[in-house]
Amino acid sequence: MRAQFFAGVINADEDRMIPGHEIAAEAKRRILVRVRAAAAAGTPLTQTLGGTVYHERQRLSRGAAHGERAREDRAFVDHLHRALAQQSEPVDQLLTKVVERYADEIEGRFSHSVYRFSTTILPFGVTALLNGTTPAMALPRLPELTELSDRLVLSGAIERLSKLSTLGTVVLAPTHVSNLDSLLLGYAIHKLGLPPFIYGAGLNLFESRVLGFFMRHLGAYSVDRGKSDPLYKATLKEYATIALERGQHGLFFPGGARSRSFALERRLKRGLLGTTLTAFRNRLITQPDAPGVFIFPVTLSYPLVLEGHSLIEEFLGRAGRERYLQPAHDEPDRVGRWVGFLRHLLALDLDVHMRIGAPLDPFGCDVNADGHSLDPRGRVINAAGYLRSGGEIVAETARDHAYTELLEQALVRAYQRDNVVLGTWLVAYVAIEILRRKLATDDVFNLLRQLPPGTTIARGEVVSGLKEAHQQVTTLAASGGLALSEALTADPNALLERALRSFSSYHDVPVITARGAELVVGDPRLLYFYRNRLDGYGLMGAPSLLPLEAHELR
Amino acid sequence: MSCVEPVAVIGAGNWGSTLAHLIGENGFPVRLWSRDEAQVREIESTRQNPRAMLGLTLSERVHADADMARAVSGASVVILVVPAQAMREVTCQLGDALSTEQIVVHASKGLELRSNKRMSQIIAEETCAKRIGVIAGPNIAAEIGAGSPAGTVVASRFPEVVHRTKRLLASNRFMVFAGSDVIGVELCGALKNVVAIAAGMATAMNVGENAFALLVTRGLAEITAIAASFGATPGTLAGLAGVGDLMVTCRSKHSRNHRVGEALARGDSLEEAVRAIGMVAEGVTTAIAARELAEQRQIRTPLLEQVHRVLYGGLSPSAALEELLRMPTGRDVAWS
Repeated sequence: MRAQFFAGVINADEDRMIPGHEIAAEAKRRILVRVRAAAAAGTPLTQTLGGTVYHERQRLSRGAAHGERAREDRAFVDHLHRALAQQSEPVDQLLTKVVERYADEIEGRFSHSVYRFSTTILPFGVTALLNGTTPAMALPRLPELTELSDRLVLSGAIERLSKLSTLGTVVLAPTHVSNLDSLLLGYAIHKLGLPPFIYGAGLNLFESRVLGFFMRHLGAYSVDRGKSDPLYKATLKEYATIALERGQHGLFFPGGARSRSFALERRLKRGLLGTTLTAFRNRLITQPDAPGVFIFPVTLSYPLVLEGHSLIEEFLGRAGRERYLQPAHDEPDRVGRWVGFLRHLLALDLDVHMRIGAPLDPFGCDVNADGHSLDPRGRVINAAGYLRSGGEIVAETARDHAYTELLEQALVRAYQRDNVVLGTWLVAYVAIEILRRKLATDDVFNLLRQLPPGTTIARGEVVSGLKEAHQQVTTLAASGGLALSEALTADPNALLERALRSFSSYHDVPVITARGAELVVGDPRLLYFYRNRLDGYGLMGAPSLLPLEAHELR
Repeated sequence: MSCVEPVAVIGAGNWGSTLAHLIGENGFPVRLWSRDEAQVREIESTRQNPRAMLGLTLSERVHADADMARAVSGASVVILVVPAQAMREVTCQLGDALSTEQIVVHASKGLELRSNKRMSQIIAEETCAKRIGVIAGPNIAAEIGAGSPAGTVVASRFPEVVHRTKRLLASNRFMVFAGSDVIGVELCGALKNVVAIAAGMATAMNVGENAFALLVTRGLAEITAIAASFGATPGTLAGLAGVGDLMVTCRSKHSRNHRVGEALARGDSLEEAVRAIGMVAEGVTTAIAARELAEQRQIRTPLLEQVHRVLYGGLSPSAALEELLRMPTGRDVAWS
């Protein structure tokens, strides 16, 4: 389905959006009850708060913590430390303050200075696109961005998504590679006429010039990945749980952050993922007639990636440590860069594919169109039974963790299956594989060391490699191993030409270009970046070239 | 007794019947399923199970049944004890009868031919079960049935599965240890049978105690390397399901795989050796899987390879041993 911008029906069901302050208040209440109960059972409050001081000091001593927020946080932690040491304030009052502070931050209440800064600089259209509740009339004001709708190809379980959003709580679980993801997802939610989704976004994005403002408007709550205080993590999970439990549709990036290597996510963040199960269990009690929580894997396939350059530099720098000298890089966080990128997509006639995968329940089981969980052979089952022990529905941390692992595995399989193969990736994959064979190495750092910009490959070799790889992806797609776009031509010459055009246009240095009968690699690291989206399928018999390859799935 | 919910044991072979008996003796009602109606009648009327070569008088709480849906209905725990190559078919049938509340544990030591899948993978593919566990260890059914002391390990990602299975089985004659490494326990249990065939050959060839220890230890190193490459914790191989099971299966005259190895070394053909046992010797088929798994993970497994060649490549056990002794050696323990 190619999105038609004005054809969509706006769902004005804004009542479905539960106010953030209500969720935050309930999260605070539950956490306080839990921590006080733990205190009664032998974990003193001073120990819990001592943990907060310790973890927050650790975080604030790192280089990344700076700016107004960090200054406020330092002052608060110093106050907490003093009050604990001097016993100048009741401990329970201090606990309330800490949890309240965390809950407020998660809810998205920020310093006014950050807020003012965001609102004055943002173009209205970007906000409008991201905000599923914005009236469609506002959108034509930004013509080049509205054309984006023609470039977004939505496919997969769209009907089931619409239907299940009326039968229970829906969670979208997309792959993540670009800050544009949230823009496209917000647009798709709007386009499909779905009610607004609550959204967990990195705290840093709230401070971003481009993104901060609309994050709030999208119903976003903040996630600070830098915070390791168990009290913060518990509050965050409780916030997400309550929202889902009350029927608020949600959107998580289960990978936790953008995939720096461009490889599909193989390890997911189970903490946030596990909130779907807790919400399901709570709904069994509060809404036994419709307890369903439905998780939709979503794969986003970009022919070119806005932040490709900075992502791969960061990945190689982290993965290689001393083996890789990381050049300075600049994360594109400017409106101009965004618009430039979108214009390139339009000019090149390139599509971004968003594929909605088949829904799953919190245990990783498939779900049918009526919201019923299915066993692997398609029989309808009662998922609530997984939470029963001796006939009773019980909460059990270790068991629930094991179930969430199953959901994680099911999502990872879905990403592999729903990955829509694009021409730029195939060309990058084939080129890297030809070079890897020549240099006889399975080690990416070794490979990149021996690949200076300007390295050449015979065009003919790439064309015959493309023929082979195309055949393999077609066979794989036929058995459901991955997805193909209609636009992926079988003619290797045409495929190559189109990919070369794309690679020559957007990035500062052309990733790979043609020179007579040769192809010249302009940016080996980006070539590696784009091939990684096809890593792990064994195309052309190539090994994985990811240095941090995830463990075998269990 | 706090739990009166029945337990279903699927498979009335010699280990399945023994487990059913142990659970019955612990006070739990047991439904013992067999597809063989004559066997069911015999068990019900005589409390004996001669078809499973079991001299044991079964607990009064064990009731045999040929109807799987009836046997499984309402059972809190379902224990599968069927040959590895029958697991797919049996679980396919079980899938119609099982509910999400039920826990499934299996005690089958083998891998599915061709797919090389572990038993818990097959259970997860064919049924709604998610809370799955495995039982393995040095467990010669005849000894346990006779009341000799023994121990086993129950492994599951779900602590509840371990806890409940332990409650069913543990007694002052049968120690039950806990584990969470399902992959490790399943791969140990399956792959060690191939080493047991080698041990049987070595016994019949009178190679001496040193050479015997050499073969078995190298076999353990090879199966550890394979298991670790699939995500098993190498330490699991030092436990009851690894070294424990290997010791008994490589030494005991009761071990079917050991007996197959002995028969081959005496000059019997594979068909004759298998026929003489009269029951399934899992190592004979697992040798094929072991070879494929090692190849897939590019792991050098000279001992397992030689067993495969003796079973399927026409190589004599003595020639296999001679070749093995001439092979280049690497590190003693390479997986750490």
